Amino acid sequence: MDSHIEELLPFYTLDALTNEERELVEGYLAEHPEARARVQELQSGASALPYAVSPVEPPGQVKDALIRRVTADAQARQRTEARVPTKPSRGGLWLEDLFRVLSLGAATVAILWAFALNGQIARLQEQVASLNDQVTAQSESLDELIRNLPQTGESDIISVSLKSTETQPRALGQLIADPNDQSAMLVISGLPPLEPGQTYQVWLIGNAPVSAGLLTVDENGQSVLIITSEEAIGSFNSVGISIEPEGGSMEPTGEIVVLSEL
Amino acid sequence: MAQIKNASDAFVRSNNEKALSDVPDESLVAQVARGNSAALEVLYDRYASRVLGISLKILGEQALAEDILQETFWRVWQSAATFQPQLGPFTGWLFRIARNLAIDAYRRRNVRPQAFMGANGVDPILDATPDPDMNVAEQAQLILQSQRVRKALGLLPGVQRQVIEMAYFYGMTRQEIAQATGEALGTIHTRARLALQKLREELSGEDF
Repeated sequence: MDSHIEELLPFYTLDALTNEERELVEGYLAEHPEARARVQELQSGASALPYAVSPVEPPGQVKDALIRRVTADAQARQRTEARVPTKPSRGGLWLEDLFRVLSLGAATVAILWAFALNGQIARLQEQVASLNDQVTAQSESLDELIRNLPQTGESDIISVSLKSTETQPRALGQLIADPNDQSAMLVISGLPPLEPGQTYQVWLIGNAPVSAGLLTVDENGQSVLIITSEEAIGSFNSVGISIEPEGGSMEPTGEIVVLSEL
Repeated sequence: MAQIKNASDAFVRSNNEKALSDVPDESLVAQVARGNSAALEVLYDRYASRVLGISLKILGEQALAEDILQETFWRVWQSAATFQPQLGPFTGWLFRIARNLAIDAYRRRNVRPQAFMGANGVDPILDATPDPDMNVAEQAQLILQSQRVRKALGLLPGVQRQVIEMAYFYGMTRQEIAQATGEALGTIHTRARLALQKLREELSGEDF
């Protein structure tokens, strides 16, 4: 039994440790089942604390505002899904790598989007076909897919290569957006899955950072995120990704793993 | 035409909410992860008053606490897929999001929190009273639950209760609590442990 770490356990259950202390405790708990049992006991006391506060009935406009925000987001998701091909052309091969399907779908959305805006139908369809062949026939990794995302030339669509920071040099990504629109697609790879209690959070940065959503990567460190913003994407100067506590933060507080100018 | 559509949407939403009203939290979160906004509304109706109470307790400012309430459920909408039921109940996850957001806001805006102890020495947790506009019939269960927890907290020595309140509601570290109270770090450790153990004993059989 490590008496120093044991002293931290009550504060671990109260979620009042520094990041370093929390990592220390979690490493200890992973190796000491008897300590996990003690934490569980303390946790049953700590988990009662939120209930000590009297409930306060919120005004109706808070729920109304939330529902408006959620409805707009749900509609944006539906529009996105409607653009993604639903019937795979090569059956079983697609099921073998779900992420590859998402990546291809996302790339297709980006291309269809550009198609609707600038009429470059033929050229973009060639790019779709090219990506399709690359993904399905060659089983390439997402890194490869990102490197082959369409470059949109003279169209209004921008495709920004995301730059990793020194803390995660393997991170590689692309942000595809119409600067005048309020949504964008972010494709990322090379980010390691995080410990429980942590999440990646995407930020659009103008005068101040604005949360653009939480990012969960798969076991290969890959993810696709459709970003919706209250402001046009072009009104922001930069995009970044940081590591935050579970549920995200109101502003970046943790390690910055990706930061690029738009 | 727009009015008809709005009325129709509201009717469908209302029916969906009724159908989901008896569904357990964890199943609702799974539905939220699949984009079911009606499931989110049911979770909001169940826990919004609790989340607002926590935010208000930490921030002491109604408007800011309402912002945190909306942001908390927006985070649930966005990250429901990351909820892991094997790690604990939904309410623990939800309240942790609300608490972290409120403490972040407190630190960022330097909002003055409620005092740790009132001027008359009464802990504000124990002194809290329900909002007079609250629908008591709908919230009766929550209020009774709060009363039981406050009663258990009231049985703790004040110095023990103070430590866990400073840690949980104000996000203070062990060192910060030791500095604020002028006590040795070891004393703070002991008080926190004893407080949580006593709370567990007093509330055994309760489901949180």
